Amino acid sequence: MALDAQDDRSDDTLLALYGQGDRAAARALAGRLTPLAFRVAQRMLRDPAEAEDVAQEAMLRLWRAAPGWQAGTAKVSTWLYRVVVNLSTDRLRRRRSVPLEAAPEPEDGRPGADEGLVEADRAAALEAALQTLPERQREAVVLRHLEGLANPEIAEIMGVGVEAVESLTARGKRGLMQVLAGRRAELGYGDG
Amino acid sequence: MAMADLDRDDELLEGFFRAAREARPAPSGALMARILADAEAGMPRPPGPHPLARPAGGGGDGGVLSWLGAAFGGWRGIGGLATATVAGLWLGYAGLADTSLLTGGLWSAGEAAATVELMPGVEVFALATGWEG
Repeated sequence: MALDAQDDRSDDTLLALYGQGDRAAARALAGRLTPLAFRVAQRMLRDPAEAEDVAQEAMLRLWRAAPGWQAGTAKVSTWLYRVVVNLSTDRLRRRRSVPLEAAPEPEDGRPGADEGLVEADRAAALEAALQTLPERQREAVVLRHLEGLANPEIAEIMGVGVEAVESLTARGKRGLMQVLAGRRAELGYGDG
Repeated sequence: MAMADLDRDDELLEGFFRAAREARPAPSGALMARILADAEAGMPRPPGPHPLARPAGGGGDGGVLSWLGAAFGGWRGIGGLATATVAGLWLGYAGLADTSLLTGGLWSAGEAAATVELMPGVEVFALATGWEG
């Protein structure tokens, strides 16, 4: 069961309660926001250990921000997305780009594979293809198509205008298509 | 690129996106434990009443007594204060008859010392109450 499964209070409320020393509020917030932080970091970095480090650092910054948090000035989740994206970008810039060849290849025996394996392979292929995109395009695509955020919120997270988000997303999708087009057949899609 | 190609590409990509959304990576229990430990370590202290703060709305005698009690360190502090007061009174009214009790014999009996009698007649009071020094 998720830590916040029975807690319908807003992130703002929980953060304010944590700022007053409420231990239960901390547990609820951690249960709600840690998956978000880890998920985005993992999709940006494709390295579970690094993604855990980023998620922990982002949450630590949230705890520290709690006492001075101004309710209503920003969504807690938007603030956390921004921190995670920035921390992930910092790490990406410190390391060399990961070649697509390092990504796990889909299993053989495609006709006999069940649908779950096909879906897992498609997910892995997309995550590998994301690593080939420039950082800003990757951020925009992850936030728009994997996190399902609206363009204005993505613009706030990335610190750019909505038009820039649209442009980054469109270019990112074209880049992904170029990488993934050659793998249609092996990933269970027809040649079209 | 033809519109049909764009639609087909979007459809293909959406299949990849859908698969990735469903295969969402989840944090480990160890990460959750570390994050909760961070939260615990950095948790602000809950606000509590200041030890010397008067209770809000405490206009009655009970409120004043409570506040005074807290100001002097609780009932133990007040007990110590009362003991010291009684001891001071005793020294003041009875002990001045023979200061050697206080000086512990530092001054010899024959040594001259300037004294000021603050309470004339206290010796008579001591004799009347049967105290012999």
